[in-house]
Amino acid sequence: MEGHQRNLSLYERFNARVLGVSVDDVTTLKYWAKSLDLTFPLLSNVTGFLGPSFGVGPSPEIKGFPVFNRRTVIIDMKGIIRYAKDGSPDFKEILLFLKKMNKEGGKP
Amino acid sequence: MRRHIGTLLCLAWAAIMLSACATPETTQKAYKFSQQGTVIWNDEFEFKPPPPEWNIIHVEVGGEFGFGFLRVDRGPFPSQSMFVYDEEPFGCSTELGERGGEFFKRYLWSTTMILDMQILEKKNVHLLGVEGLAMVAEGKDPVKKEKVKSKVVFGKRGDRVVAFYLTQWRPIDGAYDPSAFEIFDRFWGSFKFLKKSFYQTLVEDP
Repeated sequence: MEGHQRNLSLYERFNARVLGVSVDDVTTLKYWAKSLDLTFPLLSNVTGFLGPSFGVGPSPEIKGFPVFNRRTVIIDMKGIIRYAKDGSPDFKEILLFLKKMNKEGGKP
Repeated sequence: MRRHIGTLLCLAWAAIMLSACATPETTQKAYKFSQQGTVIWNDEFEFKPPPPEWNIIHVEVGGEFGFGFLRVDRGPFPSQSMFVYDEEPFGCSTELGERGGEFFKRYLWSTTMILDMQILEKKNVHLLGVEGLAMVAEGKDPVKKEKVKSKVVFGKRGDRVVAFYLTQWRPIDGAYDPSAFEIFDRFWGSFKFLKKSFYQTLVEDP
């Protein structure tokens, strides 16, 4: 998340906005955002119902608690997912993708 | 003549040590020596290498740093010194003083130690052709009876903040070795960028 914060001005340059989604509760996310000086919105999705919309499911390793795998998705203006990748974000790849999308006119 | 032979031997020894300490695939791709004895890393960075007892460390993906050098020091665990060049130091601010504060909030968090880092020194330095910021800090864990002294030098590459940092670990009653700090100073002091960064190219190229 700190990496996304570091790249905010670049995302804006390519007409993209960042939104974080987590199964943590609002209080936890507020504290977390404050500790990392995050200025972009974080959504608390405690039940995890948004997960399937992004192709994300509960981690199979942890039973009984909705811990979700980490995934980065880029959604275009029409609501279509144009990029999805699991694991830690590849910031350079994301930025190149956004630049390409912005150039093509398919604003994220 | 003897001095030339000595220099050549030193360079050869450094080359052997460097090649011995990295994976073969990375070794061929990661660096080469210039005629002046400096290291050219990935055709992107140039710097004076540390003495041969410093082993290369290189983190490709997901690590906290790009590459650096590690030396196992004399003395009981955890006596060692390590310095690295980091393109993505902790924090987000592009103002060096603010970045320093952000950096030390998370620095060494992965050690899972309660170090309570205290800033001992903070001063402006000349780095990479512009003004940089050097901070020296120390942390002690009274439970594990270990301590660490660290020097962090912040600079700029384009608009983004980069950092060089040295950490020297010791038992809590151990003495620090200032020679590592001198070698580290030579490393960052000799550092040059040979081409534009990914981020500079990203915003400049159409």
